[in-house]
Amino acid sequence: MIPASFPDRARIDARDKVLGVARFSADVPVTGVLYAMMVPARIAKGTLTGLDTAAALRVPGVVRVLTEADFPAPPPVIENGPPPPPPTLEREIAYRGQPVALVVAETLEAAIEGAAAVVCTYAAAPFAALIDSEGGVREMGEEIVFGDAEATLASAAVVVEGEFLSPTQHHNPIELLATTAVWEAGRLTLHEATQGAGGTRGMTARALGIDPGVVDVKSPYVGGGFGQKGGLGQRQTALIAHASMLLGRPVKLVTPRGQIFHLATYRPLSRHRIRLGATAEGRMVAMQYDAEQEQSRHGIFPSAEYHETTSRMYGIANYLGTSADVRIDRQPPGWMRAPHPQASGFAMESMVDELAYRLGQDPVALRLANTGDVDFRTGQPFSSNHLNACLEEGARRFGWSSRTAEPGSMTADDGSLVGWGVACGSYPSMMVPAVATLRIGADGSTRYAASGHEMGQGIRTAIASVLLESLEIDPERLEILIGDTTAAPQHITAGSWGSAGAVPVAMRAAARMREAVAELLDGREIAGNLHRRLATVRRPFLEIEVSEVGPGQGQDVLQALQYGAPAVAGPAYPTFTTMSYIAHFVEVRVEPTTRRVRVPRVVSIVDCGRVISPRTAESQVRGGVVWAIGAALREATEVDPRYGGYLNNDLADYVVAVNADIGAIDVGFIDQPDPLANSAGLKGLGEVAMVGASPAIANAIFHATGRRLHELPIRIEHLL
Amino acid sequence: MHPFDYIRPATPQDAVAAFANAEAGARYIAGGTTLYDLMKLDIERPPLLIDVTAIAGLGEVDIGDERLRVGALVPMSTIAADPDIGRDYPVLAESLAKAASQQLRNMATVGGNLLQRTRCMYFRNGADGAFPCNKRQPGSGCAAIDGLDRGQAVLGTSASCTAVSPGDWPVALTALDASVEIVGPAGARRMLVADLYRLPGDTPHLEFSLTPGELITGIEIPRPAAGSGSTYHKIRDRESYAFALASAAVVVQRDGDLVSRARIALGGVATRPWRATEAEDLLVGQPLTIETALAAGRAAFSTATPGHHNGFKLELGARTVADALLIAAERSRT
Ligand SMILES: Cc1cc2nc3c(=O)[nH]c(=O)nc-3n(C[C@H](O)[C@H](O)[C@H](O)COP(=O)(O)OP(=O)(O)OC[C@H]3O[C@@H](n4cnc5c(N)ncnc54)[C@H](O)[C@@H]3O)c2cc1C
Repeated sequence: MIPASFPDRARIDARDKVLGVARFSADVPVTGVLYAMMVPARIAKGTLTGLDTAAALRVPGVVRVLTEADFPAPPPVIENGPPPPPPTLEREIAYRGQPVALVVAETLEAAIEGAAAVVCTYAAAPFAALIDSEGGVREMGEEIVFGDAEATLASAAVVVEGEFLSPTQHHNPIELLATTAVWEAGRLTLHEATQGAGGTRGMTARALGIDPGVVDVKSPYVGGGFGQKGGLGQRQTALIAHASMLLGRPVKLVTPRGQIFHLATYRPLSRHRIRLGATAEGRMVAMQYDAEQEQSRHGIFPSAEYHETTSRMYGIANYLGTSADVRIDRQPPGWMRAPHPQASGFAMESMVDELAYRLGQDPVALRLANTGDVDFRTGQPFSSNHLNACLEEGARRFGWSSRTAEPGSMTADDGSLVGWGVACGSYPSMMVPAVATLRIGADGSTRYAASGHEMGQGIRTAIASVLLESLEIDPERLEILIGDTTAAPQHITAGSWGSAGAVPVAMRAAARMREAVAELLDGREIAGNLHRRLATVRRPFLEIEVSEVGPGQGQDVLQALQYGAPAVAGPAYPTFTTMSYIAHFVEVRVEPTTRRVRVPRVVSIVDCGRVISPRTAESQVRGGVVWAIGAALREATEVDPRYGGYLNNDLADYVVAVNADIGAIDVGFIDQPDPLANSAGLKGLGEVAMVGASPAIANAIFHATGRRLHELPIRIEHLL
Repeated sequence: MHPFDYIRPATPQDAVAAFANAEAGARYIAGGTTLYDLMKLDIERPPLLIDVTAIAGLGEVDIGDERLRVGALVPMSTIAADPDIGRDYPVLAESLAKAASQQLRNMATVGGNLLQRTRCMYFRNGADGAFPCNKRQPGSGCAAIDGLDRGQAVLGTSASCTAVSPGDWPVALTALDASVEIVGPAGARRMLVADLYRLPGDTPHLEFSLTPGELITGIEIPRPAAGSGSTYHKIRDRESYAFALASAAVVVQRDGDLVSRARIALGGVATRPWRATEAEDLLVGQPLTIETALAAGRAAFSTATPGHHNGFKLELGARTVADALLIAAERSRT
């Protein structure tokens, strides 16, 4: 009943979104709501010594100013337990922009005016704002070692070597961070823009010392998450929840973008030193790779994960990977699309390109000869690896065979230098447990409730695709409830495991429903769709519940799911490793005089196992490539080490790519089911889409100009 | 943001009178795309906004034989899309088409555009006192000079301020020797656009040569000589919706193969719209080739003083001028 490949299907919520019918968290109408605004700390580190709220309280409409004294003490840290919830309000200032007070008012205007009227005094302390600032504390992370990289490098025929830098970058989804808290009759309902409704529930309850059982979190639509709205939870959520509980009225906060730059997680600046050794024929045999990143004083974004993909992408048998955090006085960094491999992939794929150049080999051919079936890190086989097929199909579509190898050898009619570059990406394909209920009514309705968050990636469309392909139900009355803790337990949706968490369980639900219908009808042949058949046998509805876990996971993970704790399997499963792959081919044109870089076309071919929702999958890849163009050529958040904080904290000065920067993006899929990763045969897609596209651009620039650039973003001044 | 009063007078005289009667700090407001932004950042705190958009007669475009006159309230997008202006004054249309975004151009007026304020990040972000800024808080110092100055000016700077004059349109108007029409408490007057802008010197908070309460009613632009070619060439960090790293407004007149007159103004690199007269002089009597164009470009930056991270603007600026000259020359006839 599950088809071998899925037909193209329009996004099921496209129309609602275009009409503005889809309700994002800040759109939920709540009567009697109060508006909140945070007061950010002006200093980068130190102590809040005074907080004068008198003037703020005189602003007409201001109801209350909450300070540190209004909040419970933080919960005790549990050794080896879940990460602590974000702190609420504190007198100790750990970074510039940390909230020191919360103003609550009858109107948004009064809240804003009140926030500006709060007078703070500080005792400032010395601070370290950047990786090289005095006062940063270096802390080594886990080492990833297999084989003998040092000895192999010492005897390798060719060794290429380089240091690369990836800058601080912020997610900047269009939807701002938004929380509305409604405390009513002993229950707390949070309308929150989050990728992890379950985690938000747990974090908020722990921060405030209340029972998570009385907290409901609803996040049916997220206007872009990219990791910013997941992982570590938002500091503001507990503030707003607490305000609502204290005041007995709903409270709402939509955080201004300038504050979000200072509060939310971000991609930390990172440095990558690589030595890559190969035989004279171009077989990569050893790699030494030292990664270090900026980290907050207590942050947990793991430095060792820079090695997650670099240690597995090519069949390199000898690997020595170190990693380090440099702890400085900033807010915690976190997961941002293609979290580690955006940076590590830039370093590694630049080095692979350099190796091909050094050896006089074609960079596609060199890669084709180095992929493998075995994950040397675990010694296990990959469940599937179609990277070579991606490279071959990409090269064919791009017309790679007409490339001339020498840098600067290709020019356009207008005198622009033309560069063709290639780079690969991979990303762990992971899976999470899920519980789903499916109810089909004789009245024509279908209600499906499961874990998952719709962040625009198209998870609802993928679920609908499965249900509509395998069940004869009315598509017009199919309701898909996700991102809602009252409908089903909610695992965080991130790390490209959204589909793996949503689709196999939907397939299982459909199969179970068909069994249930067959049982009910007991051999009777009844015409019409499932609703009709139920009506005919006078059954108002049929409801089933199913669950699904990842390979190697026990049923106990369903317990973790109930608490909203992360329960992620893979990429190293008990007997195999599963990675997704992509190959990007990029053409750049570098203007002859002023050296502007343009990217007229990109071809990206993906191995993400079976494709469930072709249209949204393609759109995911386009989005990844667009972002990689921004990340490679434009995006960097500026920190002045004398002051801390972020200077270019709006969308005019934090320069993302605009339409005019984007040319043709041709996306292709191998669409071969993975035999082991999950019952649907799919692998993760959202992250891998972006991985490797930035180095493909850098490699194309090298091909155009002969300049190997070691720092992102690559800007006009680097090419003049 | 702070509460303010708001009025919407119907005549220039009423507007000027309202300003005269208001407490200090009142502002005219047109499209609001600069002013509201700065109010939200707490940089501007006007007690009174005098909305000038209901004033009749300031929204006209008049294309004459000798000159073009544009009312102060004409939206940027109107000039950017006007086919006649695009044909006769390409430098003007391009300067607006390459500025901001379509949405902003629809709201913003060509009068308000002249008085937009710098994008210096230390100026914009420091309302809470985190960064010193002589423009925002006279005498407090300048954080940009020894800071992240990639975007800062290399021409017309002082020890107090290196903030760039951000607009594109004022640069094009400066190249065309345009003037502004003003009414104020002391009556009407007219001033060259080039004279509207002050160098920062020791008083970077004084940006314009208008006296308080003066209202810009229109802009007058003399038509370039027949056969001249012009362009506005703008280099930025992305293809659209970004301020200039370097830009050049250029008008070239040729006599045979030789330049008889060149007018060059620079944007993105200077503390005010910058007329590059050294470069203009160098070109007279010369053919326009990549070599002479680059020599002119370099001459335009001969007095430039780079900071820590903006040194590239000297070379980028010179090349931008060179490309602009060649584009304009291509468009010129003899
Ligand atoms: C994100 C962003 C990007 C931008 N990018 C660019 C760019 O690339 N290039 C560019 O050139 N500009 C750019 N701009 C600036 C934009 O062009 C200006 O904000 C706009 O032109 C100002 O016009 P306005 O009518 O909105 O002015 P307002 O905001 O209404 O007023 C601006 C100032 O002028 C005064 N004023 C207005 N009208 C008059 C009048 N008739 N007489 C006297 N005083 C008056 C006001 O008091 C105020 O001080 C950008 C702006 C933004 C927000």
